[in-house]
Amino acid sequence: MAKTIIRRLLIMIPELVILSILVFMLAKLMPGDPFTGLLTPQTSAEQIHQLKVQAGLYDPWYVQYWHWIVRMFHGDLGMSYQFKSPVASLIAERATNTLWLSLLTVILSYAIAIPLGVVAGRYENSKKDKLIQFYSFVVYAIPAFVFYLLGVYIFGYKLHWFPTSGSVSVNAEEGMSYLFSRIDHMILPAVLMALLSTTSIIQYLRSEIIDNTNQDFVKTARAKGVSERSVFWKHILRNSLLPIAAFFGYSITGLLGGSIFVETIFGYPGMGLLFMDSIGSRDYSVITALVMLYGALNLLGTLLSDIVLSIVDPRVRIE
Amino acid sequence: MEKNMVAQKDDSAFQMVKREFLRDKWALTCLVLLSIVLLTIFVWSLFLDQDKVMTVDILRQYERPGVDGMLLGADQGGRDVLAMLILGAKNSIMIGLAVTVLMLVIGILFGVIAGYYGGIVDNLMMRFLDFMMTLPMLLLVIVIVSIIPHYTMMTFVLVMGAFYWVSTARLIRSKALSEARKDYISAAKTSGTSDLRIIFGELIPNLSSIIVVEAILSLTANIGIEVGLTFLGFGLPDSVPSLGTLISYAQDPDVLTAKFWVWLPASLLILFICVGISYVGNVVRRTLDARQRLG
Amino acid sequence: MEKLLTIKDLKVYYPIRSGILNKVTGHIKAVDGVDLSIEPGKTYGIIGESGSGKSTIGKTIAGLEKATSGQIKYQGVDVLHSRARKKINYNKDVQMIFQDSLSSLNPKKKIKDIIAQPLKNFERLSELELKKRIKDIIEVVGLDEDSLHKYPHQFSGGQRQRIDIARAIATRPKLIIADEPVSALDLSVQAQVLNYLKKIQQEYQVAYLFISHDLGVVYHMCDTLAIMHRGRFVEVGEREDIYQDPQHIYTKRLLAAIPQVDIAKRQENKSRRQQIEEEFLKNMASGYDENGRPYPLKRLSATHLVAKKGDE
Repeated sequence: MAKTIIRRLLIMIPELVILSILVFMLAKLMPGDPFTGLLTPQTSAEQIHQLKVQAGLYDPWYVQYWHWIVRMFHGDLGMSYQFKSPVASLIAERATNTLWLSLLTVILSYAIAIPLGVVAGRYENSKKDKLIQFYSFVVYAIPAFVFYLLGVYIFGYKLHWFPTSGSVSVNAEEGMSYLFSRIDHMILPAVLMALLSTTSIIQYLRSEIIDNTNQDFVKTARAKGVSERSVFWKHILRNSLLPIAAFFGYSITGLLGGSIFVETIFGYPGMGLLFMDSIGSRDYSVITALVMLYGALNLLGTLLSDIVLSIVDPRVRIE
Repeated sequence: MEKNMVAQKDDSAFQMVKREFLRDKWALTCLVLLSIVLLTIFVWSLFLDQDKVMTVDILRQYERPGVDGMLLGADQGGRDVLAMLILGAKNSIMIGLAVTVLMLVIGILFGVIAGYYGGIVDNLMMRFLDFMMTLPMLLLVIVIVSIIPHYTMMTFVLVMGAFYWVSTARLIRSKALSEARKDYISAAKTSGTSDLRIIFGELIPNLSSIIVVEAILSLTANIGIEVGLTFLGFGLPDSVPSLGTLISYAQDPDVLTAKFWVWLPASLLILFICVGISYVGNVVRRTLDARQRLG
Repeated sequence: MEKLLTIKDLKVYYPIRSGILNKVTGHIKAVDGVDLSIEPGKTYGIIGESGSGKSTIGKTIAGLEKATSGQIKYQGVDVLHSRARKKINYNKDVQMIFQDSLSSLNPKKKIKDIIAQPLKNFERLSELELKKRIKDIIEVVGLDEDSLHKYPHQFSGGQRQRIDIARAIATRPKLIIADEPVSALDLSVQAQVLNYLKKIQQEYQVAYLFISHDLGVVYHMCDTLAIMHRGRFVEVGEREDIYQDPQHIYTKRLLAAIPQVDIAKRQENKSRRQQIEEEFLKNMASGYDENGRPYPLKRLSATHLVAKKGDE
């Protein structure tokens, strides 16, 4: 199995390279550069030209590309045009917000999905099962942002249960109230996002349980006289739960993409909102850095998923 | 005592699907409602003049529903929300259809070639596919949309189609892979049929049930993505009526709470259309899967 | 009599890839050096268990698999490469019947279109001629004209196999490769289909390469038989040679395995079979070299060859 991991990592390298070239080309296609906006009555066009030469904007493309890559490895992602600060630190502070939100979402989605999946699988074709299936289906078919919008409308504005924007309340002081405020702001978006991601987990868990229930080893256990309850918890459930650990990696991909909508609607200052703001203000250094980051995270997420799956489910183990 | 779903062997796929809809009352209701809504949208939109609808009339800004003959009130620009709703829905559906068609064409071609030839061809193509899947597609679409100078509905369709064909290709490829190993394909080869003829004449027709299901389910996803992108501001331009634009007004808390007639109908409509098509698609899929198993 | 098809030292190897960089580390030797020749209008049988390589030979001759090395000559013309086969319209003369009749007929096509396919590819017939030809063919296999408008799933296994045969004989081929044509059929239907095959052979002078694992079935059909194991022939001979005077231990073992429904002699048969199995395992060296590979064939008589340890 170590072999497979190594192979996957090896493949990731050219994939990252191609991704970076793609992103770089996109960046070059974007009109404008970091300096044009600096033109003021004090700075002449000549000085701007000099700055551009210094920044290497007139070098051949592969030289520029190389410099960009080298700088990236040193953690220098350029300067944000809009915020007038280094891109790297900008992303870092936003990233923590998105990270916490994603973490909460993942925890919630498993917390919701597992009981639902178990009930659906155990009581196959019962009313409970049909209800859960219905919920699952509706949630899957709804366009995400409509769901978020209705959610914030009903629970935020109409019922005033949760705050409707920001990551933390303006009046929060250090310490516990700050922490509570943070969580308070995260709950609604996290719950909504979690509800959307429960679908695949529920479906998978349910079908795993149903499949396992029909397996011979369960019949054997029953024949041995093991109680139905014990059969379910000890035998069926244990086998069915493990594979869903793999969804953890896949959900990273989904969360990153989804964060754009959530953060926009909730005004939550994370990476997604940063991306939208940057697009709006044509802040190209931020945009390229974010796209690169998202792409790399996607790759890692998939790899992580596959590794977890092969550890956890011996049937899938790739030799 | 319910009529069982087991068909006679003579049933064609279409007949079986028809039977299933007649049997499953929920499915039938959904199908009928959906058809009514879609038909209404398309017929009504014929009577609406897009330019007239989109003309701004400040005097009527944010008129409440029912006033001045506008059943759903007016938006910020004083434009009839209901009319925009109808036209917007039509646009979203048309774009969804166009993207789905484009996606299917690319995805099917890619998938059957990889599946039919197998071996190295398949390996390389899958490598490429795997790479495409790791790209953050939503982001790239937004970035590209923001770069393109002269932006039209057609460009939008192309950009979306250029990225979202990947999952279709994957699905088709795996089915094509197993189908192409079947003996009737070998028999066609020994009968002297050319590869091209085999792919189009033998292989693809036998993938038709999967293609149909994929088409329906992608349609709902694509409509959703288009509306979402327009909502963010990276879909249709503002001058074109669309559900996404209507819903995007909800980002203003004032509109969200006080002037809900602007965005709520659009949200509910898109919800209904997406869930409706998705449900119908799932019924079709369920039926065709059962048919597969009957042989 | 001029040979229809000759094969010399045919090898079909599949590479095994392993390691991080997916390098080729070995080969699966599906066919490992096989000679045979088929005469017009005669039946040549290849018998073996699954994995012996017999299907691979059939597919390679039909052009569905690529040979790694060796020589295949059809009527004196080298047909190893697909280009050569295309040039002489090889598949017009060399056709194939498949084992699984359900998957060998396109479920979405009507019977008349299935049979028409090779005709459209290899012959220039008018609409009328095509119709008549198809009608004739379907009658040869004992089905009526109505069947032409039906779909494969509307027929039974035996009928479908006959349709497969109809498709194969459409272009009046000179050689038909029958890959386990009756293995998937009920016993009662098997005889019927075999009889049709014989009838066709007599009427149209078709040669068969009959591939099977069932010695019992093959007894009625084949003039010359080859027993195949691990990619090579271990014994070749005419019907009497093989059934009356088997020489190779593998052949003996296969013959012993033919089910005999004779209840009275049940115990006797069982102990005989067990004895032969023991002998087989003990005497591997007589028929196989140190690598487990069957020896090359040595001639015993005009018609009989056996894989034997020779002096080389």
